[in-house]
Amino acid sequence: MTLPNRWASQFAALAGWLGAALLLGWWFGGSGWWLAGAFAAYVGHVLRNVFLLDRVLDGHARVPLFATRGLWAEIFARIDRVRAKARNRKKKYHRLLREVRESTGALSDGGIILNADHEIVWFNPAATRLLGLNPATDIGNRLDNLLRHPDFVAYLAEPTPEPITVPAPREDVGWLTVQIIPYGKDQRLAIVRDITREVSLERTRRDFVANASHELRSPLTVISGYLDSLADDAEIPQSWHAPVGEMQRQAERMTRILRDLIELTRLESADEGAPPEFVDVIAMLKLIAREFQAAGHRPSVSLKIEADVALLGSESELHSIFYNIVNNAVRFTPPAGSVQIVWKTEGDAAVFEVIDTGIGIPEEQIPRITERFYRVDPGRSRASGGTGLGLAIVKHALQRHEGTLGIRSVEGEGSAFSCSFPASRVAYRGGATQVAL
Amino acid sequence: MEVEDLGHHISRKFNEDLEHVRSSVLAMGGLVEEQLDRAIKALTDADSELGLQVAEDDIKVNRMEVSIDEECSRILATRAPTASDLRLVIATLKTITDLERIGDEAEKIGVLAARLASVERPSTNYRELRNLARHVKAMVHGSLNAFARLDTKGALEVVKADDAVDEEYESIYRQGITFMMEDPRTISRIMDSTWLARALERIGDHAKNICEYVIFMVHGKDVRYTGLKNIEAEVEQATRRQESRS
Repeated sequence: MTLPNRWASQFAALAGWLGAALLLGWWFGGSGWWLAGAFAAYVGHVLRNVFLLDRVLDGHARVPLFATRGLWAEIFARIDRVRAKARNRKKKYHRLLREVRESTGALSDGGIILNADHEIVWFNPAATRLLGLNPATDIGNRLDNLLRHPDFVAYLAEPTPEPITVPAPREDVGWLTVQIIPYGKDQRLAIVRDITREVSLERTRRDFVANASHELRSPLTVISGYLDSLADDAEIPQSWHAPVGEMQRQAERMTRILRDLIELTRLESADEGAPPEFVDVIAMLKLIAREFQAAGHRPSVSLKIEADVALLGSESELHSIFYNIVNNAVRFTPPAGSVQIVWKTEGDAAVFEVIDTGIGIPEEQIPRITERFYRVDPGRSRASGGTGLGLAIVKHALQRHEGTLGIRSVEGEGSAFSCSFPASRVAYRGGATQVAL
Repeated sequence: MEVEDLGHHISRKFNEDLEHVRSSVLAMGGLVEEQLDRAIKALTDADSELGLQVAEDDIKVNRMEVSIDEECSRILATRAPTASDLRLVIATLKTITDLERIGDEAEKIGVLAARLASVERPSTNYRELRNLARHVKAMVHGSLNAFARLDTKGALEVVKADDAVDEEYESIYRQGITFMMEDPRTISRIMDSTWLARALERIGDHAKNICEYVIFMVHGKDVRYTGLKNIEAEVEQATRRQESRS
């Protein structure tokens, strides 16, 4: 091991002291005493420096450069350097922390950091505003102790990636969405967003559509009525037959659109699941299939029942799910093609599937076709008499039955629409006989 | 007592048990708050279905009371808690009783709201009831917040608010009498709405009780039936003592 240079001066000093003591001892005699004196002086020197060091470490006093020499000067200088570095670093972190604080403070969404026990570790000012949290008292408290809505308590216990909507605990904020994002080791981030405006806009929109549809329906009934009697009237001139017929068809289409709109708004505003009433799906599918089989100039419709199960749900809603999907398939399949309806089980789930050899849907449009009034080919679907609301109704009605909609399609070859119902909605035939009795 | 004070037990399990009881009480409080919210919504929206649903869901509140009650008994029997832990358990036992009663009143409101939904409504759509309900809801919310934060100042605020609620009830009651004398055909409706106001006023009283338990739990002082002035003085004194100690 080689010692750094600065130690040389220290050894030199020690050697000097001892040398001087020996020399004086040889000159005056009593070298033992001289040596002891030299050691004492050296220890005194070291103690003084240790005392200085202690003071430096204690307070923030600096040792002037001229007060020490050699190794000790070096040590004090190094302490100074380390201190300065630490000070700068601290300043930098302070600045960084302040910037982070300021930016999270400026966020309009609330952010709360939770530990594994759901205790609040940190939150930003927006969380204070939205949830009425108090920075002085709420750190360390459990979040579900302060945001106590039963839905939220259940959500916090088992978070899903989907955010949850709960009424705000404060009176001046209406609705909040909360999303829990796990990160790091057992840490969770809760993001709180004020959606009062969205909720009220959505409600206004829904109310408007519902009211408008209702208000439009009665005048339309009058118009349809007169058109019907006009069409039957033998006295009107021949040239008016075609226009009256067209008016009748359009009036009928309008009635259908209004009926679908009303149905859709009803499904949207009913937030709870459909009531679990026993629905004999097989009988219902037979009826639907027969209806489409009867008409001419249509693709052939076949029904394949592979499972003897029924569903628990709302009869009218299930009917509109099945009817709309079959109706779509028939409308978009050329008369030479075929439409097959399948009712089967896959594991615990019951699956309704309609496979057609129709025109298909371009892949990039599949995610959008359940939007209201969305049309893959506007000219064609209108000509075939659609309202543009069928699949939107299917989507909402399915949601009320906890079902999922699957769409597979190849353009030009055909499509397959499948609705899968979870085990909780499936009833077995045994149940059917019981209910029938 | 601070929230952290609960963290001083050698047995971690004991700690967890106490924390769990506390959270359960607040979860029950959340459920009761929701019940009350829905019952009042049933009144304002004239939604008889919702009102009856609330009445039906009261069973959930009752079940929670039973389970928390059992847990408290178990803690008392097996841990023999002392000092602030004992106060927590006692305050919990009393709080859940009051919460359960609030649940019962919410059930009553649900039933009354369902009945009122089917008869003619005054042009104000029961504005005074909605006002009273807003204040009572704020009281329940405040009392549960005080319980969660062990915040005696917050508890005091709720206790103070109870007088205003009592006055509001009084004026609804008098108004009802006037209406009934003017037009006897409204008697059954006014009776129902007065009963509803009465239920709301009772909920305010229960919220006030919970706040008194919070003061007991934190400061170890029983302030029931001692009057607002005395409660105020106790809280002030206890807070000052605590501050000087820390």
